[in-house]
Amino acid sequence: MIELKNVTKTYEVRKGESVHAIENVNLAIGEGELVVLKGASGSGKSTVLSLVAALSKPTSGEVLVDGKQISKLSDDFASLYRRENIGFIFQRYNLLPNLSVEENILLPLIPSNPDSKEIGVRLEEVMERFHIAHKRHQKAKNLSGGEQQRVAIARANINMPKIILADEPTANLDANLSRHFIEMLGELKSANTTIIVATHDPLFFGLSFVDREIEIHKGTILV
Amino acid sequence: MILTPEILTLTLLNLLFALFGIVALLLSVQIVLGWDVHATTQKQYMLEKKSFLGAVIIKYVFWLKLPLFLFFIFTIDKLSNVITGAMCAAGVVDATPYGTYLFIVKILNLYLFGLWLVLHYLDVKQETPRYIKTKYTLFLAIFPLLACEIVLELLMFGAIDVSKMVSCCGTLYSSNTGSYISGIFLVATPLLLGLFYGNYFLLACFYFLKNRVLYTLASALFTVVALVSLIAFFGTYIYELPTHHCPFCFLQKDYYYVGYLLYTLLFLGTFYGLIAGLLEAKSETNLKKSLFFITLYVVAVSLYPAVYYLRNGVWL
Repeated sequence: MIELKNVTKTYEVRKGESVHAIENVNLAIGEGELVVLKGASGSGKSTVLSLVAALSKPTSGEVLVDGKQISKLSDDFASLYRRENIGFIFQRYNLLPNLSVEENILLPLIPSNPDSKEIGVRLEEVMERFHIAHKRHQKAKNLSGGEQQRVAIARANINMPKIILADEPTANLDANLSRHFIEMLGELKSANTTIIVATHDPLFFGLSFVDREIEIHKGTILV
Repeated sequence: MILTPEILTLTLLNLLFALFGIVALLLSVQIVLGWDVHATTQKQYMLEKKSFLGAVIIKYVFWLKLPLFLFFIFTIDKLSNVITGAMCAAGVVDATPYGTYLFIVKILNLYLFGLWLVLHYLDVKQETPRYIKTKYTLFLAIFPLLACEIVLELLMFGAIDVSKMVSCCGTLYSSNTGSYISGIFLVATPLLLGLFYGNYFLLACFYFLKNRVLYTLASALFTVVALVSLIAFFGTYIYELPTHHCPFCFLQKDYYYVGYLLYTLLFLGTFYGLIAGLLEAKSETNLKKSLFFITLYVVAVSLYPAVYYLRNGVWL
């Protein structure tokens, strides 16, 4: 389902000086797989996620999702691809602090403007599923870290995406909340969603429902 | 060179267009030479970024050039107030050796800029861009004309001498001048009107037959026939003067600036007609738009003699 073929991503830091974020990476992730990308900060984990999300283009190589070359999409079509296929969970939650829980969760639906009945049903479903329904009218800025992360995961699922990308999702959570978050990821996996988690949190390592752990070191995958 | 605010604006914009045009030219050369849509090499990804940049530059330059044509006409029309002998833009165009050539290049460029913009619009609406090489090759062909337009415009504004007497439109567009313009007035009115309405009828037929190639040819012919009939016949009813044939005076306040409307309708109608024949994509919509604007034009110009006859009971 997700394939990276000989992908290299180079960032130019100064004129004539560049950094290889990843180099000649080959990776295939099947539908419904939960993959943990592990490695130290700056190893290239987030770069892989941004390439799969078509947020950035490789310097060379191919990124394919369901056989489609997403690395060749124009900005407009890349946005459409993200809207239809990708759910994001970020380290800092990236919620809008002055919007309520409901409004934050509904944000990804705004561009597609779906039927209001359909929205209501979906909203209830995700809020129940991620145990945040009781805080629906509260502003995001008044929630605890764990609650904010639950809103973020509900928001990532409101579009029913095929792929969920989580970038250091537990970096701001304590051990208990992190375990709870990991349980929720397990539930998502059972719904056949493809999940890629970029993390260096040891709580993710050796979990029974994680299909693969892939280690990235200095932009290359360690076999 | 006289530096009115309008001339200063046009000159500064032209210098900016020249600068950005050169950047787009350099990018276009690289894209045309190296583009391979299927490649996933570093070079191809770099060209894709350059293509985005080039398209943004060209799109904004051309988008600005289209309404600036009307602003250019407004500018030279306003200049006629300070040039001795000039009564409208016609006198200013004739005041230097560059005016007529500049006008021809500007009109040709309007169609080419429009064609490039349509091609670009079709390109970005597709997941896999199909017209990248075509649109950048087209830009390479347009660039010399763009440069020519900018140089001629600078030369024209630079050569205008307010102390020099020029001819007014009454002299320039008279049947006695012996110029190529005067030949227009030799065409008999029934023949001219037959050609005008016959051509419009042909366009309608080709539209309903969905024959876009014949429609394009007929619309190219209509551009010439419409301009000639406007100067030789319909214009006289706008002025209500049988001897006045100026294609610029009806751009003035005295005639409610109707020239801007007429020329815009004629340009849009014939432009979409041209596009329909050249590009298969969206050809049905383009044919519809073309016939719509041409019909509006035909109705608008026909109203003048009709109203004149109803009011006075005679033809001019």
